[in-house]
Amino acid sequence: MRVTNMVPDVQYAMQQSQQALSAALQQVSTGLRVNQPSEDPSAAANMVVSLAESANVDQYTSNVSSVLPQMQTADSAVNGMETSLSSAVTLGISGANGDVSTQDKQEIVSQVESALSSVIALANTSFHGVYIFAGSASNTPPFVAASSAYASTQGSAGNPLSTTTALTAGSITTISDATTGETMTFKAAVGNTVATLSTAIANAVSAGTLSAGVSATIDADGQLAIGTNSSTAGIVVSSNDAALGSMTATAGSQVANAYAYVGNDNVNNVQVGDSMNVASSLSGSRLLTQGANVIGSLNGLITALQSGTSAQIGTATSAVSTALNYISEQRVPLDNTISQLSDQESYLGQETVTLTTQQTSLVGANIADAATNLSQAELANSAVLAAAAKVMPQTLLNYLAPG
Amino acid sequence: MASLSTSLLTAVQSLGAATGALQVTNNNIANANTPGYSRQVAILQEAAPTVDGGISTGNGVVLEGFQSVRDELVQTQIQQETQAQSGANAQLASLQQIQPTFTTSTQDIGTEMSALFSSISGLATDPAGTADGAAVLTAGQNLATAFNTASATLTSQQGGLNTQVTQDVSQINQLTRQIAALNPQIAEMDATGQNGGTVQDQQNQLVLSLSALTSVAVTQTNNGVTLTTGNGAALVVGSQSFTLQTTTGSNGMQQVLDQNGTNITASLTSGDLGGTVQMRDKTIPGLLSQLDTLANQFGTAMNAAQATGFDQSGKAGQNFFNISSTVAGSAGDISMALTNPSQIAASSDGTSGSNGNLANLSAVQTAALPSGQTPGNAYASLVYQVGSLTSNATAESSATTSSLLQLNDQLSSVSGVSIDEESANLITYQTAYEAAARVVSTVQSLFSVVLAMGTVAAE
Repeated sequence: MRVTNMVPDVQYAMQQSQQALSAALQQVSTGLRVNQPSEDPSAAANMVVSLAESANVDQYTSNVSSVLPQMQTADSAVNGMETSLSSAVTLGISGANGDVSTQDKQEIVSQVESALSSVIALANTSFHGVYIFAGSASNTPPFVAASSAYASTQGSAGNPLSTTTALTAGSITTISDATTGETMTFKAAVGNTVATLSTAIANAVSAGTLSAGVSATIDADGQLAIGTNSSTAGIVVSSNDAALGSMTATAGSQVANAYAYVGNDNVNNVQVGDSMNVASSLSGSRLLTQGANVIGSLNGLITALQSGTSAQIGTATSAVSTALNYISEQRVPLDNTISQLSDQESYLGQETVTLTTQQTSLVGANIADAATNLSQAELANSAVLAAAAKVMPQTLLNYLAPG
Repeated sequence: MASLSTSLLTAVQSLGAATGALQVTNNNIANANTPGYSRQVAILQEAAPTVDGGISTGNGVVLEGFQSVRDELVQTQIQQETQAQSGANAQLASLQQIQPTFTTSTQDIGTEMSALFSSISGLATDPAGTADGAAVLTAGQNLATAFNTASATLTSQQGGLNTQVTQDVSQINQLTRQIAALNPQIAEMDATGQNGGTVQDQQNQLVLSLSALTSVAVTQTNNGVTLTTGNGAALVVGSQSFTLQTTTGSNGMQQVLDQNGTNITASLTSGDLGGTVQMRDKTIPGLLSQLDTLANQFGTAMNAAQATGFDQSGKAGQNFFNISSTVAGSAGDISMALTNPSQIAASSDGTSGSNGNLANLSAVQTAALPSGQTPGNAYASLVYQVGSLTSNATAESSATTSSLLQLNDQLSSVSGVSIDEESANLITYQTAYEAAARVVSTVQSLFSVVLAMGTVAAE
């Protein structure tokens, strides 16, 4: 073949070898074999999926780090409750002794009361603003001191509410009863009035959700009054109905040692694995009022110590003891969750390593290969340049004598 | 019978032939680097001999003319390969600008989507927490922005290509005019038996430039070259050129019409115009439609999940994203509908501390969208397509470049100027000239001898 001009071929060869050099350099400098999707479309697509998994694993790890101390806090709170209850049992046993003086008994009563309030304080434990024992209502303290009378902020003597006052559809009024440990939730429907609410309260009393004597009436100030008919029975009322305004406890109506649960029985779950959720909150009602009624048993002990016989104190003490056993049983699932979380933490660590390895094999450059490629590309490039320098100036003219 | 005068004539003819050959060599050397130049050779022919009394005497050399050395077949192959190369390059240039948007970075759709789900999962640990809620809003906003950016990249790329169509068509019209103008000259030269020479070279070079813009079929006729578009519409016939026109189509894009007003846009497949139209009307709309579908279905799924729960004030969850009612344009105008962390429908039971509905929001990540893929996989498949389109265009571009290089080598082996060859020719013709000049001076001295003979006799 007749060769006339080698410049285009030399230029092409230089360009190709410089491209190879630049690619090799990029691999070494970034440590990546695939820097953009076109270099390996399928690896780039798999990388998208793998990175999403990594982000999830990172988040699960972070969730474990948040939930684990939360559960440890819950566990230590329950542990504290056990301590309080067992001291109440000891106090009850000593109070049952017929030889104890009235003054000493009074001292014992105040100690049991303090055990109760410490149980309540522990049940209101929060971790970074999350109330652990409130069920899913985790941003408000679940146990609230109960009162015997509540009144609406709306309504006045001049402009009284009446039984025909319309309620706002969709509004929610809740009455939590310290004695029954249950909560009545009333959601107003279209057309509902104060009378409908009163009827609902009466029905809840019949059903046993609320204690006998809880009722709603319009008081002399023209406000809606919801209360018990006893100074020893307490409730907690709340409402977001605009027609009623918020419900506030009447001054001086707080009932000693009565606490109503305003949380719920739902629990919050936190995802700590692709198919693993752990409960991050517990129902305080399940812990303290259902099963063996912890608050009730302590109240019973206080009442027995104040006015009961030795036998009654004994019975009340054994009720507290039963409650203590119940609480201890409740710790088991909590401890299981903690150990599950610890296991999951190490599994996620392992998973991160696996995913990183997968990602490296998808788009990472083998540094040894990349370095070898780079030095080969360098060599090839210098060879091309050297050849070009040799070939390009070669013409017959160089050899012809001038003139 | 041979005479001194005949010899002198033969020598002068020979001087002329050598001068002509030197001129060709000179021209070849001068145009050694001129694109499209075909080397010329001097056609030297033996002059008809004189036969006198049975003796045939040669009458020297005749310079018949100059001939350009061409290979029409290779020339045609180069035109076709140029069309393919320009088409691939047009697509590659555009895809290389699109690709970074779909490359894993800190703000591509895939990363932002993961970040959104991470923030939702993180919110579960403190469902009423303002900081965690704000993180979800920020992540949602970032994802919406990533969709907007990707859509804007594709749309602005499409707009740029649309402008390119108009520019290409105007260049095509200019080239066809120039090509047609050269046809009569070439036809005339052909008719008189002359070689088209530089005019032909010029026309070939123009046809090559035209091939870089669009696919043309080239036919040589007695009236010069005839050019037609890929679908047979005439561009150049004889001295006449037919202009292509552009008009704004129903989709707002420039459509290419032939001289009859027929829309030939869809039949443009190669050359810069073909590659540009291919990208503008097929590749980018394909990607854009998938992106819109993903944004729309993802936004709808998030809104549906949000609607199953309750916000911090116990109200049913409002839309998470604002999405347009039509799928088209969804990626471009998706935006965050929530403005406050308290509006996130984390709660499943209406209480503000509940996180039960976050599981529904998280489930969007693993549930198949109506398209049949999970959001992450749908995005991964987009990344795959962009990567694979770019990689194919790169492969085609380098394949055509290397094949064009070989074709050019082939053509230059026929038509290219070799400086070495021309240097040798220079020496050859210089020697020939010197030799002929020597003959002239020899004849001259012989004439002197002859004339001196007469003078001596007279003395």
